Amino acid sequence: MAEMWITMGPQHPMTHGLWTLRVKVDGETVVDTVPELGYIHRGVEKICEARDYTQITPYCDRLCYASAMTWAQSYIYAAEDLLEAEVPERAEYIRLIAVEMQRIASHLMWLGAYTPDVGNLTVFVWCLRDRELFLDLLQELGGSRMHYNFPRIGGVKRDLPIGFATRAKAKIEMFLHRLKEYEMLLDESTIFLVRTQGVGACKAEEMIDAGVTGPNVRAAGVNYDVRWAHPYSVYDQIDGVAAVEKASSNEGSDCYDRYRVRMTEMIESCNMILSALDNIPGGAETHYNKKDEMIYTKPPSRAPAGNTGFHHFEDSRGESTFYLVGGGGKKGRGEFPYRISIRSPMFITIPFVAKTMIGYKVADIPAIMGSFDPCIGETDR
Amino acid sequence: MQSISFEQNISAVESAVEQINERFELVGIKCEIRKHKAGRKFSFVHIDCPPNHWVSLAKWLKFEQNVDYLSMITGIHFPLEFEFFSGKPGYKPGTPEKGWEVIVHLTRKGIRNPNVGEQIITNAAKLTGMGIPLEYQVSIVLPQTDEPSVPSVQSIWEGADWNEKETWDLVGIAFEGHENMMRVLNPHDSPEGFHPLQKQHKIRYHDHNEMYDDAQGFMRKPLDSDKKK
Repeated sequence: MAEMWITMGPQHPMTHGLWTLRVKVDGETVVDTVPELGYIHRGVEKICEARDYTQITPYCDRLCYASAMTWAQSYIYAAEDLLEAEVPERAEYIRLIAVEMQRIASHLMWLGAYTPDVGNLTVFVWCLRDRELFLDLLQELGGSRMHYNFPRIGGVKRDLPIGFATRAKAKIEMFLHRLKEYEMLLDESTIFLVRTQGVGACKAEEMIDAGVTGPNVRAAGVNYDVRWAHPYSVYDQIDGVAAVEKASSNEGSDCYDRYRVRMTEMIESCNMILSALDNIPGGAETHYNKKDEMIYTKPPSRAPAGNTGFHHFEDSRGESTFYLVGGGGKKGRGEFPYRISIRSPMFITIPFVAKTMIGYKVADIPAIMGSFDPCIGETDR
Repeated sequence: MQSISFEQNISAVESAVEQINERFELVGIKCEIRKHKAGRKFSFVHIDCPPNHWVSLAKWLKFEQNVDYLSMITGIHFPLEFEFFSGKPGYKPGTPEKGWEVIVHLTRKGIRNPNVGEQIITNAAKLTGMGIPLEYQVSIVLPQTDEPSVPSVQSIWEGADWNEKETWDLVGIAFEGHENMMRVLNPHDSPEGFHPLQKQHKIRYHDHNEMYDDAQGFMRKPLDSDKKK
């Protein structure tokens, strides 16, 4: 049968954003793929060369609309490395709570976007309902629903509000019950199983070689996680483990494994939040004022000459890294970075996923693409 | 969460630096221990590598040292002089020997494929030797030139492929031997030689004053202002 090229995107339910996948098909079988990115390239790296270190945080929030807190913190850790800033321990706990809540919200957004792709609309509505639980909590911290601008170089913007811990614990308890409902609904749905099991298989070593990280690799049976491998924050002082799933075939993990690992990761994140609320220095029901020394240490506004900073960070979708070179222009009291470079996990993952699709049917493309949790905001930067 | 300890980190870094220095000192590759300056203040391996030895170093790291993951490639432009603020030349970041820099971040993760239905659960506290995850930062400095270029490592780490595409697209550093080089973030029909992260390209409001004087760009003259109609 004759082969032909089909263009999927930039507006296509499969893409979960704005990009194009060109697919070469032979009948119903995918023979070759070419991803085309860059539709929403905003030049964040260039913009940041004319902003001082504090002004960059809101831009990093907007790198990924589904996971703003992780991206802001990813930048903050690199900036602290550059500026040699110290952070109080209470602030590290608050950041950890915030970032794990964001991870749950991001995974819920993923599940909500993925299940309609594979024929289950109910979970979409449920996920968006429960995501609001965590967005409300994050709103209490940062003041807005999606782009928080919450972490600061040297601490956090605000302390936990009074009653935050009680509300968080109650919501998490309810959420853990609801997760079981999701599992009952999805694991017994024949349509969901048929469309995800045995589809999109890939192995751990292949993924690491191609630069794919995070939950997608842990789905293949390896518990590699930046949170223990290159430790930051206070993860070693709290309970919780990296979520792992078993690779279900000789070819590696399939879409179903990637769904399972994110479900487990949400439970683990809940455990981490509960553990952090119990162990936080100063107590979870105490509220310190803005810029109190318990939650904020004033950082230097200029980097030492010749300094660079980088930091690996476990984002909701894999490993994000910022690399900063200090000593750009000086203006007033602040300083601009000379160069800021962003490593986006999905930018590297999308070409890998496009290769993974080869050999499967056209109808499997949305199932495979969606299972890797694409986010185009961070991909195109 | 059980995590890597400070002692494990420093032992891994020291042995890695020792091995690299032992093997590559004669060809001009310098290796040293560097420390993160915030947070846990863990150490990582910093390597200064001349461009002509980059591929052999990369192969050795991948196949002898088990560095299985390429995280990020960053290109930086250091011109001899450029106008950082409009109308104020004299900012001199570069030297004749250092016109461009390519920074490569690598990680040793030690990942193996588990058997079907099994998991490999690593206990961080029990990791020793080559099993300890480690960060590498490789710096490749190029002299002042209009056509910067370094060898490609696309065939060594598959993850280098799109990182190199991006670095060429945005910074304009060519990668010799890279197959299928193309624009990835800029429009595919961008003019040849246009690489926006080079320092001669200014963003519109690079200067505070410029921004406040003419926030909407109304004072710019139309292109045909000097022509008789």
